This record gives sequence, C-alpha cells and structure tokens, in this order.
Amino acid sequence: MSLSSLISKLAGATALVGLSALGVQAQTSGEPVKIGAIVSVTGAGAGLGVPERNGLLLAEKDINAKGGIKGRPIKFIIEDDASNPDTALSKANDLIFGQKVQALLGPSLTASTVAVGGVTHANKIPQIAFTGIGPAVERERKCVAHVLPPQRLNATALLEYAKSINANKIGVLHDAGYGNVVMAELRPLADKYGVKLVAVEKFEIGATDTTTQAAKVKASQPDAVFIIATSATPFRNVKQIQITQPVVAAIGSSSYEYVNAMGPAADNIVIPEFVVGEDPLPHQKAFVELYKQTYNSTPKNYEAAAWDAAHIIAAALNKAGADATGEKLCEAMKAPYSGVLANYDFSADDMTGIPISSFIFSKLVGGKYTRTPFRVTQ
Amino acid sequence: MTLSLVLQALFAGVTNGIVYALVGMGLSAIFKGSRVINAMQGEFAVIGAMTTVLLLTKAGWPYPAAIAGGAISGALVGAFIEVAFVRFMARKNASEDSFLLLTIGLALTLSASVLFFIGRDGHLLPPLGGEGVLIILDAVIQFHALWLIAIGIGATLALRAFYHRTTVGLSMMAASIDADGAATTGINVGRMRTFTFVLGGLLGALGGILVTPLIGVDYQLGLNLTLKGFAAAVLGGLTNPLGAAVGGLTLGLVESLAIIGISSSYKDVVAFSVLIVIMILMPQGILGRAGRRGG
Repeated sequence: MSLSSLISKLAGATALVGLSALGVQAQTSGEPVKIGAIVSVTGAGAGLGVPERNGLLLAEKDINAKGGIKGRPIKFIIEDDASNPDTALSKANDLIFGQKVQALLGPSLTASTVAVGGVTHANKIPQIAFTGIGPAVERERKCVAHVLPPQRLNATALLEYAKSINANKIGVLHDAGYGNVVMAELRPLADKYGVKLVAVEKFEIGATDTTTQAAKVKASQPDAVFIIATSATPFRNVKQIQITQPVVAAIGSSSYEYVNAMGPAADNIVIPEFVVGEDPLPHQKAFVELYKQTYNSTPKNYEAAAWDAAHIIAAALNKAGADATGEKLCEAMKAPYSGVLANYDFSADDMTGIPISSFIFSKLVGGKYTRTPFRVTQ
Repeated sequence: MTLSLVLQALFAGVTNGIVYALVGMGLSAIFKGSRVINAMQGEFAVIGAMTTVLLLTKAGWPYPAAIAGGAISGALVGAFIEVAFVRFMARKNASEDSFLLLTIGLALTLSASVLFFIGRDGHLLPPLGGEGVLIILDAVIQFHALWLIAIGIGATLALRAFYHRTTVGLSMMAASIDADGAATTGINVGRMRTFTFVLGGLLGALGGILVTPLIGVDYQLGLNLTLKGFAAAVLGGLTNPLGAAVGGLTLGLVESLAIIGISSSYKDVVAFSVLIVIMILMPQGILGRAGRRGG
C-alpha cells in the first residue's frame, strides 16, 4: 500500500471516529465541514493529479491540526476523474448534490475544469481549479478561481527570460495540446517583446520522436529555444541533434516524472515555475519540510497548488463561517492570499491574480533543479 | 530547405521506420500464422524493454544478458498468451473479432499491470555504442540509431531466411496457408501457432529494447507503437512480415519528410493521406501478391 493511500485511509478513519464524539484529533470536534475535490489520479493527467492529491491530504492534516474550521474538522472528499471530463462532471454532481459539499477543489485538467464549472457556477458552489483556465471562462464564471497561472502569464514568463538573455530570435517546439494553448497567448505577446518567432514546430501529444521538428528549429538558427509540452521527448531530441542554444521550458514539463525521463538531456534547461524543493524560498520552507517528512519525496508546483487551494478555502470558511452559503464563501474568497506557490488575489479579473513576480526561474543542471537568481519585478 | 535538413529528416525517418517495421513484422507474423490481429503487439515492446531495464538496474545483469533476457521475456509472454488464451478460444472456433477483443483487453491489462507494478516513470536504457554521434553535413545521428538500423535490417533478413530455409519456418508457412493440408503431412498446427506468437513476442520485444535508449519506455508506450506498427503492417500487406518492413520504412520516411516538406502542423494529415493513396492504388499492400508468396 502506498503512503498516500494509507494516509487517505487514515484520514477517512479519522473522519468517521470524529463523528462519534470520540474525536482522535484533540483540536477539532463536531460535524466535519465537507469539501469536494476532483483530481486525475489515473489516466493522462495522473502526473498532475497524484501530486495534487498528496498536497490536499497534507493540507487536510495541517488545517485540522491547527483547529480546523472554527473548531470543526475539515474533510476533503477526493474523487478521481480518470482524466475524463464526463467522469469529472458526474463526480461533481455527486459531490454537490449527493455529498452536499460546500465547495469544490480541482479538477486537474482544463477540459474537466470547464465541464465542472458549469455545475458549480449554476449552483453557486465556490470552486478552486488546479488549472490555468482561460479568459473566456474567467469572464463568465466569477466563482471559479484557480491557483495555477493563466497561460498568458506562462507565455509572459518565457518571454521575460528570453529578454533577459538578449534572445531576439526564438525557435519553438510545442505539443498539440497544452503547447497549442500557450502558443495562442505567446504569439501576440512576442511582438510586444520585440521577439521574432523564427520557427514554430508542433508535434502530437504522446509523440515518441520529434527529431525532425527539432532539426527545423535548429536550421532556423534561433538565439534560444522554447519547449512547451508535457513530455520529455522534445528535450531529449533537442540534445540529440546537438542544439546548443539555451532551452527555456514552460512549467508543464517541470515535474520530476518528466525530468527523470529526460535522462542526460535534463541539463541546462531553464523553467519559469514556482517551487524548487531543493532550494525553497523562505516562505516555502515549512511546506517543503512537512511534505518531505510525510512523503519522503520533494514537492513541486502541483503539490503546492493543491495545498494552497485547500488553505484558501479553509481561510474563506473561517472568515464566512462553517455553514456559510456558496455566495458568502465566494465573497470571503475574493481577497489577496499569500500562498506557498504564489501571491494570489482572487478579486482580480483573471480569477487568480498571480503576479509575474511570483515566478522563480529554475535551471536543470545534470538532472537536478537549482534556483537561478533571476526574478521579474512587477 | 537545406540538404542538411533533408538528411536529418532521412535519419529520423529511417530510425523511426525500422522501429515501426519491427513492431509491424511481429504483428503480421502473428496474423499470418494465426489470423489474430494482435492489438497488444506494442505491449511486447514494453515488456521486453521493461524487463531489460529491471534486469539491468535491479538485478545487476550485464547489458547483453539483460537484452537477451528482455527479448526472451517477450517470446515467453507470446507463448503464454497463445497457450492460455488463443488455443483455448481457437478450440471453440472463436471469430476474428473475438480474438481482436482478446488482444485489446490484454493490451489494456498489461499496460495497467506495468503502471501498477513498475510505476508511472519513464525509463531509459544505455545506448549501444555509447553517447557518440555521427555528423554528416551538420545532420546528426546517434551511434545507437545506426545500431538500431543495422539490427533491424539483420532481423528482417533473418526472418526471411527463417521462413524460407528452416523446417520450422516452412512448417509455419504451410500451417498458415492451409492448416488442414499441413496437418495431414504431419505438421503440428497448434504448435506452429504457438511458435508464431513466440516469434511475434520476440520481434516486438526486440523493437522495444532497441528503441528505449532513444525514446524511453513507460507504461503508455505500447498503444502508440501498436498503431504505427499496424499501419506499417497493413501498408506492406498484412500477411507478409517482409511487407511490414517496407511499410514501416515508408511510414517513417513519409512522416519525417512531411514535416520538412510541408509543416509539422500537418504531419499526420500528409502522412496518412499518402498512406490512403497507397492503399487505394495498391490494396494488396506495397509488396502486393508477389510479395505474399515470400516472407
């Protein structure tokens, strides 16, 4: 049994015992405050959902150890959507109408987030998604917040770094999913930054070889190469055909899973992201230490995002009251919040308010993350 | 478009083509010998590569022994599947679609087992010939890719010799062309079908082991390889393993030339349009009927 499933069982057991006045947790008592969470623990999005679940379970323990919601324990009911928007929707319906949760965290993937947002928005259930969502949804659904940066911000961070190393000609390798979405934001921004995209090469999700695309990028003689993907393949190919220019990668490739799969190619790659567990920022240290102690591994962005989302909803509940209506909770949530991942402001138009200054720029050196001194000021 | 770019595309196309060919040859060897469309051919590649990874890193075997172990594991799983499932179903006169469903089910089961027992992580194997590369006109090819191409061609020729020169190979061909006739001449048709699965498993595992130093192996790789291998096999003529070799190379080259010739955004559109045209003009596969007698 893995540690996370053990913890999940223990957490379940704690909640049951908590019901029967024999509360194991000294600090909290009474009916648990139920919060639903939908993550992709299986399927294509599992690289996101598994770390997110770990972050949620850790946050649940932490919140309850610190007194829960006005003395009542918080309980995250975590469901797997198998990376499928239809499943996410039916799980959301069950959580909202069956389990009567007060708010919903997740899902892990954009398509599922949009699907679930239809139900939470219509029923005035606050939602905090683990995705970047997008402007169209952000305009309409004013109680669907998110804890990961919008793609426009990811694109901006890439360009800011390119500017800092005087790279004016950029070659891009991107996949047909996540990469497409970021590229849609990056293209118009490139002009603003005076950057010329000399080659933009696409490959399908799950491609096992992108050598020819990488060769086209190489032939365009760029000053730097952007890789926007959720896969290790383009990184290996870029090194295989001996592209020597600096490689800057979007946050989607920042998980240890991908870095391990890059093998020797995980070198000299810069990633604009938020958490370098090997060298955390001062305000991230407590979370990183607690995570390491519990899971015996180093956390990255998605663990921290879920941890933040859990604490944000707990803070809103503590402010508005454990039995507050969805609308009240929503109002309570619309405030600045200093999280582990970033400094959010949920009253912002983009429903997250993450500033560019929250980005740190990590660099892979010999397969290991290091934190570079480069930051962007607002 | 520069010469160096064309050369780079050719390198990538041939390398990928040989991988598609190895998977496709296994697929068509099994189809030829048993009329089973094996939707889990790519899983043989995953099994072979993962076993090699485990033998090398966990059991500490020397690399050549680990490779042999990985290849044999593919062959053994092939034999197991024939004995445990296909034979049983064949005895009850299962239809071709039932076999297809069986292999789709096995593909999902095996992929899930790898996820459960070994985990999500991708694994790499050390490249044959080290990390060295050959550079021609600025186009780069790894020594490992050259080994992959050489071994792939070697395996294709060996397969041809096996079908034409050895008693077992000839018996397998006879059993597949006319099972009743073969049985009357004393060929054990059931055993030949087991051999067919052994051969398919071996070829798939070999493809998986050879490609892992280049692209890595994880639990999801199987389906991807099966699709490309299936396209290669159909392109070459499904009942002709040598056709699959030609089909694989064609597919690999068309894909990579489409990227430099047109656009990477339309790579699959172009590649598969070309394949559709080939299938319309040559419905029996690239090698056609003539090729079917061989291989």
